[in-house]
Amino acid sequence: MSGPSGDKIIYVDMTNQTAEVKDFPEEWKLLGGRALSAKILTADCDPKCDPLGPDNVLVMAPGVLSGTAAPTSGRISIGAKSPLTGGIKEANTGGQPGQHLMKLGYRAIVVKGAPSDAEARYAVEINEDGVSVTSADAHKGKWNYTLCQDLHGQYPKTASFITCGPAGEARLSGASVATTDQDNRFPARHAARGGLGAVMGSKGLKYVMVDPGRASVRQPSDRKKFGELCKTYTKDYLDGPQMFKTGTSSVVPVANMLHTFPYKNRVEGQSPDAQTLDGARIVESFETRGGEMHNCMTGCIVKCSNVVHDAQGEYKTSALEFETLTLLGANCAVASWEDVADMDRLCDEVGLDTIETGAAIAVLMDAGQLEWGDAEAMKKLIAEIPELTDRGKAIGNGAVATGKFTGHHRVPHAKGQAIPAWDPRPLKATGVTYCTSPMGADHTAGLIVNPGLQPDQFAWESQKVQIVNAVCDSSGFCQFLQPNLDNIRDFYGALYGEEFSREAIHDQGWECLADEWAFNDAAGFGASDDVMAECLSKDPINGQVFDVPADIVAAARQRMPAQDDLFEAKASG
Amino acid sequence: MPTVLIPPPYRGPTDGAAEIVVEGDSVLACLEAVGRKYPGFLDQVLTADGAVHRFVKLFQNGEQLDGDVLSVAVSEDDSIEILAAIAGG
Repeated sequence: MSGPSGDKIIYVDMTNQTAEVKDFPEEWKLLGGRALSAKILTADCDPKCDPLGPDNVLVMAPGVLSGTAAPTSGRISIGAKSPLTGGIKEANTGGQPGQHLMKLGYRAIVVKGAPSDAEARYAVEINEDGVSVTSADAHKGKWNYTLCQDLHGQYPKTASFITCGPAGEARLSGASVATTDQDNRFPARHAARGGLGAVMGSKGLKYVMVDPGRASVRQPSDRKKFGELCKTYTKDYLDGPQMFKTGTSSVVPVANMLHTFPYKNRVEGQSPDAQTLDGARIVESFETRGGEMHNCMTGCIVKCSNVVHDAQGEYKTSALEFETLTLLGANCAVASWEDVADMDRLCDEVGLDTIETGAAIAVLMDAGQLEWGDAEAMKKLIAEIPELTDRGKAIGNGAVATGKFTGHHRVPHAKGQAIPAWDPRPLKATGVTYCTSPMGADHTAGLIVNPGLQPDQFAWESQKVQIVNAVCDSSGFCQFLQPNLDNIRDFYGALYGEEFSREAIHDQGWECLADEWAFNDAAGFGASDDVMAECLSKDPINGQVFDVPADIVAAARQRMPAQDDLFEAKASG
Repeated sequence: MPTVLIPPPYRGPTDGAAEIVVEGDSVLACLEAVGRKYPGFLDQVLTADGAVHRFVKLFQNGEQLDGDVLSVAVSEDDSIEILAAIAGG
């Protein structure tokens, strides 16, 4: 046996609203998620195209292991040319659609073209009977939760959804793509970074419905070995410290201690409100309000997602993550996690990246156009974004756009994308990732939280984790499971019944990055774009600026020989 | 002598050192020995009241410690590992 076979790929042409199903190329069988998206975009998308025009290509690709019994492996990558960075972009998310697509044997959805009527809305429906494109005009403009509530009544209970909120419909560069989670089927999971929701909106695509019906779990070639791997890996994880069992929001005190919990548009690295923004407060609230830790997708053993309730015990949002508490909280001088929870829900409703939105509002505040810490004004501002006020459009288009709108000089970004919580001044190797990653400033591309690293270690440490994360984001595994390359190649080997060498998996990770860099080079990027925003090189926090020499930054893009630590390094984002 | 394994996030004060051999017959004595050598380290592990930070987990020879972890006896060849959760989300 050769493992899963008969896989397909869906091509949707939004110009004439048709869908075609083709055989998935055998030579691509070990390409999934981010690597598959990069391969398709390199082949099918003109790097110089208008990101919001019909020539951009939107890819939705689950990981190689999605739909199998491998633990926490159902993530789906969304990819396209980014309207935010102007380069290639991949953002991945949990929820159920990745699992469902792969159970049906669909390795990717490739969306091309755009309808002639920019006001028309469409849906792609996928089930055991095939694929079709239908009108979704009735759902035009709906916020994500209302949309999904209505879709639940329209489709079978087994269905999951990939949706575009009003920010995406308005083609705002901070717009996200939402997916529904496994228990409540809320649109609470987001492929948030890079404005991919705007690409979805530009194609008139309001939602994708995936109903697996009675489709079963994908069967590996070597069932015995695959089953043993699942059992051993799960046991080892559950017997271990389970560092994320109270969610990423519990990272707040560590980040604050390390001066990477930015305050007031990153003029400081610590917030005086770290105690009240600490995720521990959320966990404490479970006792009186309800709420819990849960898994966003079937088969997840990490369960890092917190379900947050309000004071009346009603569901408010999930998951309230560390990044959101940082960018919409500390970075805007907001002190209350409950206010951040309200804004997280609003961003999920409108379909916005909480990192980009928080960074943009902090720029607005730093420019003196909104009071620091005024959470109520922030909520009103986020809610007005779909109304496309001038200020709302600026915020919805991200931090750089807000800098232009206000004329304010301090805009912390790399390649047009706002810096996430992890700050490149105390964490310089992470800064090297922000400069060199094809994704721009994205911690999930390669986070290195090691303030003791010496400058001669930055390039390899960045390259190493960029490779590991690229492979992880192609596998379907969640980064919070923290698999290493040896773990992933073991699963691939059992899935397809063949040996997958260390050299091969190193090559796969590098090829993904090389494809993405080639796309960006063809789009017009050069070495001079591998830089950090000037404010981060001039304004210190805790006495440190980002001062990594250009030759060290450039070295992270030159392939280095694999060292043993490459295969032992865990995915980190 | 026991070895204290330092996680990457806490290697700022140790100038990047990942393993530090110390003298000490308890977990607390070992941690304090690292703190004496590297100012700033101990604050990352212990609160001002001397308790282990909620977000820190300690392991002895690979086994997670719980209860009164600072009083646990340490032998010559033992390793004490510190873990701290790091993730973005």
